[in-house]
Amino acid sequence: MRIQDAERVSKAVQTLRGTRSLDGLVDRLFDITEGSLALDRATLHRIARGQTRVARAIDTPQDCVRLYFALMIVGCEEDVPVETIVEEGHAILAGFVGDPLAALIFRDLSATLPKLRDRAALKEYLEEGLRIWLPS
Amino acid sequence: MATVLRPPLPARAESNTLRAFEERMRAYLDERLQVRTRFASLGGTRALLVSPADRERAKGLVIDADTSTAERVYMYVHVAAHIALGHNIPLVTIVESDDVDADQMKHELAERLTRSMWWRGADAEVAASLPAVRTSRVLRSLLSWGATRALTRWALLAIRALAYRTGIVRALERNAATAWLGQALCVAAVVSAAPQLAGERG
Repeated sequence: MRIQDAERVSKAVQTLRGTRSLDGLVDRLFDITEGSLALDRATLHRIARGQTRVARAIDTPQDCVRLYFALMIVGCEEDVPVETIVEEGHAILAGFVGDPLAALIFRDLSATLPKLRDRAALKEYLEEGLRIWLPS
Repeated sequence: MATVLRPPLPARAESNTLRAFEERMRAYLDERLQVRTRFASLGGTRALLVSPADRERAKGLVIDADTSTAERVYMYVHVAAHIALGHNIPLVTIVESDDVDADQMKHELAERLTRSMWWRGADAEVAASLPAVRTSRVLRSLLSWGATRALTRWALLAIRALAYRTGIVRALERNAATAWLGQALCVAAVVSAAPQLAGERG
């Protein structure tokens, strides 16, 4: 998948990983996505540092959506403020799949967010959102 | 991801009969409507129904772990009503909470259908998953108003306590009267947990 704004995606990944190391982030993303992301450490390091525009391991829109949800779940775990999680999550998705598809996925989060009372509820929403994109 | 597929431990007062109805209704949602249920702390939001992009795939229902068994029975019928009305649009999440939101009309329609499904039954399978005595007109009228509902529930609980204490329950095991009593208590518990089923706002 070709990243459209590598610098912005890099900033978003750095923000959402909180205090986690990049290796720790890869391990957590692998756990959260139940091993469905073929994301190797080297590629994630390059994405996080804004050093690549091509993420070969992420090669379908489904992979991108799973990465979007997983990174936002990490943001929740790292106590990143809710507004920041949402903003950075959008930046990641738009960076990977472009604005039209990102807007389609993102519309549900925008509509649901005002009805969620806290970060824990947001995390549950994101976990369920991810679950429906996992390979069956 | 941490997944809790079993409902939270029930409060001591919740009956086995009610828990059995809850399990049956949850199985119905899973098998017939492709709704996978799990339980999590949602901090005041009662439930989330997440619909996948592909209609062939299972929907995800997250229920707040703090809900009682009776509230969950109501919630399952309500979710079935939303699905019957075609509200499960791909990539659109239905949020059940006490807040008034932009989808209020959708929730009111589902509420009306929930009432109808609860008192009259929708299809045979939904009906088989719910207490049969809920169709009793007498019981329905007793549960229609807050005061008579509380009194009816109290009276049913008192009869049950008396029946257990005197050993009548063991003597009349699997008797129609004890089955009716058990089911009537379940119906009273669900309508008390969700007074909107009686046509009142909860």
